[in-house]
Amino acid sequence: MSTLKKILKTLAIPAAVAVVLEGICLANGQTIISGAKSFDNFVVYTAIVMITTMALSINLNSGRFDFSLGAMAGLSSVIGAKITYGFLKGGSGSALLMLIITVLAGALLGLISGAVYCALRLPPIIVSLGVTLVYEGIMYTITGGKYLMSEVQNRSMSGFVGTWVYAAVIIAAVLIFMIIVFERTSFGYDYNALKSGQKVAVATGINEVKNALICYTICGGLMGLVGMLNAARNTTINGGQLNFGSIAIMFTAFLPMFIAGYIGRFGNEKVGFLLSALCMSLLNSTFAVFSNRINATTQSIINAVLLVIFLVYLNNNHLIKRIFAHV
Amino acid sequence: MNRKVTKVLGLAMAAAMTVMTGCGNSAPAAVSDTTDNSTDNAVVSEASADQGETRKIGVLVADVSGEEALGFRNYYEKYIQNNYNVTFDYTDALASAEDEKAAIEKFASKGYDAVISLSSSDRAQQIETCEEYGIYYAVASGVLDESQYETYKTYEHFVGQVGPSNETEFEAGKEMGKYFKDKGVKSVAIYGAFIPNPMHVYRAAGVIAGLGDTYGGTDDMNGMIGQIFQDQGVDLTKVSGDVEVVAYLQGYGDTTTDELNAAIQKAPEAFISVGMATTFFAQTLSQENIPFSDIDSFTAMNSESMKNGSLEYLAGKYSSSIGPVFALVMDAINGNVIRDPEGNAVSFTQGYLVATDAESFDKYYVNDNGDTPIFDKASLDGIIGQDVTYDDVKALIESK
Repeated sequence: MSTLKKILKTLAIPAAVAVVLEGICLANGQTIISGAKSFDNFVVYTAIVMITTMALSINLNSGRFDFSLGAMAGLSSVIGAKITYGFLKGGSGSALLMLIITVLAGALLGLISGAVYCALRLPPIIVSLGVTLVYEGIMYTITGGKYLMSEVQNRSMSGFVGTWVYAAVIIAAVLIFMIIVFERTSFGYDYNALKSGQKVAVATGINEVKNALICYTICGGLMGLVGMLNAARNTTINGGQLNFGSIAIMFTAFLPMFIAGYIGRFGNEKVGFLLSALCMSLLNSTFAVFSNRINATTQSIINAVLLVIFLVYLNNNHLIKRIFAHV
Repeated sequence: MNRKVTKVLGLAMAAAMTVMTGCGNSAPAAVSDTTDNSTDNAVVSEASADQGETRKIGVLVADVSGEEALGFRNYYEKYIQNNYNVTFDYTDALASAEDEKAAIEKFASKGYDAVISLSSSDRAQQIETCEEYGIYYAVASGVLDESQYETYKTYEHFVGQVGPSNETEFEAGKEMGKYFKDKGVKSVAIYGAFIPNPMHVYRAAGVIAGLGDTYGGTDDMNGMIGQIFQDQGVDLTKVSGDVEVVAYLQGYGDTTTDELNAAIQKAPEAFISVGMATTFFAQTLSQENIPFSDIDSFTAMNSESMKNGSLEYLAGKYSSSIGPVFALVMDAINGNVIRDPEGNAVSFTQGYLVATDAESFDKYYVNDNGDTPIFDKASLDGIIGQDVTYDDVKALIESK
């Protein structure tokens, strides 16, 4: 496949999504992005979806289903918010300090999650359910089940999401980090070898446990970043997410993950994550345009239907090609 | 990994999961342990050692984070608890009627003397449950609807209700809507808080009426609230009139931020909330410089929003407005169950105070702050005792 063809196929889905959604909006006398605030929201949401999707895919691509993503995001942001507020009382620099602490806390929580998985050697789905309950419980204990508000409501935090610039910088930084770590380091080579054939990779001397621990740590750090972005965007952190209440966050990442996997066939998978997040953000902004007609429940249904349609297409595209060939 | 480490980790995980899942929102865990209040209790015991047995009152709450809820809690736990021989035990956020029932059962099993309700998922069931277990019950926020009150007013353990009536809620919403209409606002966004909570339904209907709009072709209170209950929210296609409602949202969850952003995108000239916007949206709305209003309480955070944010109108209650309910409950526990002249559970209506600038806000806030609440010990002492009558309580409530 020529480079031009690869680029065209890589951009096909986001371009098609943008054209269709903008067409729908224009037909109703609206546009997807209607102003500066709308664009800020668009970029911040893109960052949240892209990073969540990357975090989900790191372990899922290796056959480790991790339910604890949301709990890691929530707990790390609670820790970050509490410590930051303790030092700065909401003063200037709060967002930066919270960002650093939240990412570090997320990475630590990820490492703990990975260590538990490696130590217990139980199926990852079971371990992640247990870890989710524990992290949700700790979050509840710290917050008393309340929303954290005063800790995250200050000028520094509102400035952080009040412009698209910081979110764009985060997107670029995470993208570069992921490409370098997973494609240009010995860890990345090991990760890809384990992903392709675990037994063979282990037989060649790759340390599976070390690789898994690093995966969980990176995943936790990314979810810390998501927790930070969510806290700034929502101006609250819900400390009362018990009994798997935090799991929902990972379901926002399934559709973009499959789209990214498809785009990855023609180019870089990590860039695919960004492009698929752009698609989801376009869809989210379109929902915002029609918010008076499409309520939250309907939006969830639309997302689920799109996921099913896309999976049907992915699993049957050879049949579709054959049908069109005969036509 | 050696087996010893595996076993230790496994046991630690199991223990941690057991402990943490105990914090769940399942009913038995909904009631926090009274030992949490051990420090305060020690102070109370010392201060009130001569007042006999410490009374235990359970408080049902659905909202644990809102400004109004925190103001109420502060008053009971900091002021009342330090001045009377009583301990308050708050539930976690109760999300359903089942949670409320289970929490009351938990209070009853722990030998509590009474339950004060700030939660309204199913007040009829709350009264029935308290009656079944023989513990006193009172409503401290909102009131029962008329037919429910008629049904339960003769129940032995139903002490009564003190709060804004449904009509008062409607009027509060109406005044708020009218304020913006009179300002010449042409488009608004409305936050319906937790509709179908009756209090919020009445307020939302009032707002629409105050804006000069109709809902489903009517601006009559009963006609509107009936439809809003049926719709479980405000259906914008049914709103028509001079002031356009460009966006509507309710509840608080994963999609709320997106819904709020969508509402802001529609550039409303004002954002009218029937509850808790000051808690959830104050920062965002102030940042976007969108004038907003709410029905809440006179608290420090709301004062900040009015001075440095875009909060423009607040209809509120004093945080100590729940003082008289406490007094009624204490009287009942001490053997003086106060009844109205017809011999029924008492029912008093409280109105709202309105602040539209920092000066008027501070007047209410400072008057009802910290150690000097409006319903302070001196005034409550006048309605706690064996000789207190219905008229005494009525006179005090009406005087504030």
